[in-house]
Amino acid sequence: MTADIESRNLALAASLELSDDETCFVGIGLPSLAAMLAKRTHAPRAHLIFESGAIGADPRVPPLSTGSPCIAENAAMLGDCLDVFGELQAGRIDLGLLSAAQVDRFGNLNSTVIGDYEAPRLRLVGSGGAHDIASLANRFVILMPHEPRRLVPKVDFVTSPGHLLVGDERAAAGLRGGPSALITGRGRFSFRCGEMALVEVFAPFSVDEALEGLTWPVPVDEAVMRRSGFAPAAIDAYARLERLPAGTG
Amino acid sequence: MAATTLAQAVRDHVDDGATVFVGGFGHCVPFASGHEIIRQGKRNLTLTRTGADILIDQLIAGGCVARLIVGYVGNPGIGLAHAFRRALEAGSLTLEEWTNFTLTLRFHAGRIGVPFLPTRALRAGDMPKHIADLATLTCPYTGALLTAVPGLCPDVALVHAQRADEDGNVQLWGIDGDTCEGALASRRIIATVEEIVPAERVRRSPELTVLPAHRVTALCVVPGGAHPSYVHGYYTRDDARFAEYDRLSRRPDDLDAFLAAHVHGVADREAYLGKLPISDLSWPVHHGPGGRQ
Repeated sequence: MTADIESRNLALAASLELSDDETCFVGIGLPSLAAMLAKRTHAPRAHLIFESGAIGADPRVPPLSTGSPCIAENAAMLGDCLDVFGELQAGRIDLGLLSAAQVDRFGNLNSTVIGDYEAPRLRLVGSGGAHDIASLANRFVILMPHEPRRLVPKVDFVTSPGHLLVGDERAAAGLRGGPSALITGRGRFSFRCGEMALVEVFAPFSVDEALEGLTWPVPVDEAVMRRSGFAPAAIDAYARLERLPAGTG
Repeated sequence: MAATTLAQAVRDHVDDGATVFVGGFGHCVPFASGHEIIRQGKRNLTLTRTGADILIDQLIAGGCVARLIVGYVGNPGIGLAHAFRRALEAGSLTLEEWTNFTLTLRFHAGRIGVPFLPTRALRAGDMPKHIADLATLTCPYTGALLTAVPGLCPDVALVHAQRADEDGNVQLWGIDGDTCEGALASRRIIATVEEIVPAERVRRSPELTVLPAHRVTALCVVPGGAHPSYVHGYYTRDDARFAEYDRLSRRPDDLDAFLAAHVHGVADREAYLGKLPISDLSWPVHHGPGGRQ
């Protein structure tokens, strides 16, 4: 039951990061769910963009792949990878939504390898478009279930650059944006001087629960907000989406 | 151009050791061509595409692949690519890892005949450290530092599409991804299509043509050639097969049994389709939403 509440909190809270009329580059999984929720609630005019080339996408069911039929159907335009990554590189994408296998205190993402790159303990799928989105979107938001083994002080491999290390390393590399927030099922973290800090907790979780299992001292905002719940219409939209099988549609 | 059989096209145009671009970004994945390559026992191939899905995993399991140049390898929305993971952990596969954007740029450079293109990606994080071919260049106009990625021209491309005329003008609509960039960067193109249509239909909608006849090396009519992926306007994605592949590819023995039954154990695509559960058959061809006249 707690897992269900956390999944719902995560999707609903992440959807609020996307504002109406914004352009949003969307990854598969939790990011798609959050973006679809935003379209169905407070951001009906948001422009969802997928790396397969779909622009103004409005999938009816959660997609399994950025190239799935439900992404193509109901889209405003089907371009190609160059079209959408070109928009991204040109600075015309407001927000990226990303998830990963591991994320660290500076918002760096790992979707490449657990263990050493040359001698992997577990080999993962690799960047796909994640590195590009993290490097080139005007800002990005990280969606991550509250699983302490995946929320670490330092990722094994920086696939997609967050704030790198504290300081202006990111700007020095000529990158714009960076992670603006990290959302878990228990709370919202923002980044201060490049490091994540807890700024909001979602009912029924306390500050301690939002930090449970994290192995470094995570800063907590003095005026940490306590969100008692989400809009009933958004909860309904989540329930309708969550009932749908992911896939073709 | 006379259409040929897929077996003949693969025999003639896919050499051991070749660099092969595999088209299909989730849509129109050329499974029939890939399976024919496995059946013919091609060896030491370098496969390239941005988002590599389970067809690439099957080619690795089939013993055809020495090297990958890719942005992603997995079973989209489901999980990891198990044959890929095992081969990498065993050290029997060389991996050259890019991002989906920067690899598309490499194809684009190859396609438009320039030796490299600049990008703002691959400037930070751990990925640049593991790519031997990267260079940093200074913009001659602004002085900004950019990454240079080298052009890539694969030896041969595999593309599946909706239709072509007898001359070999190939029409593809729906999701493209990197398919046309990769194909047009390649020296040869093997195109499989759902159907051949009269030239006047192609010429009534020339905006749908993505590969002009003079670039197409071999044309093969292979209905159902993209299953279990899909063909926009013809048949939908067979998601259950991707989930089933996740289960059966976890153990090498099960994966070998799958290849024995569905690849080595069939002569061609028609025989492959004949072995599918009847519920999977969403052809013959229909022109529903996304269809074109």
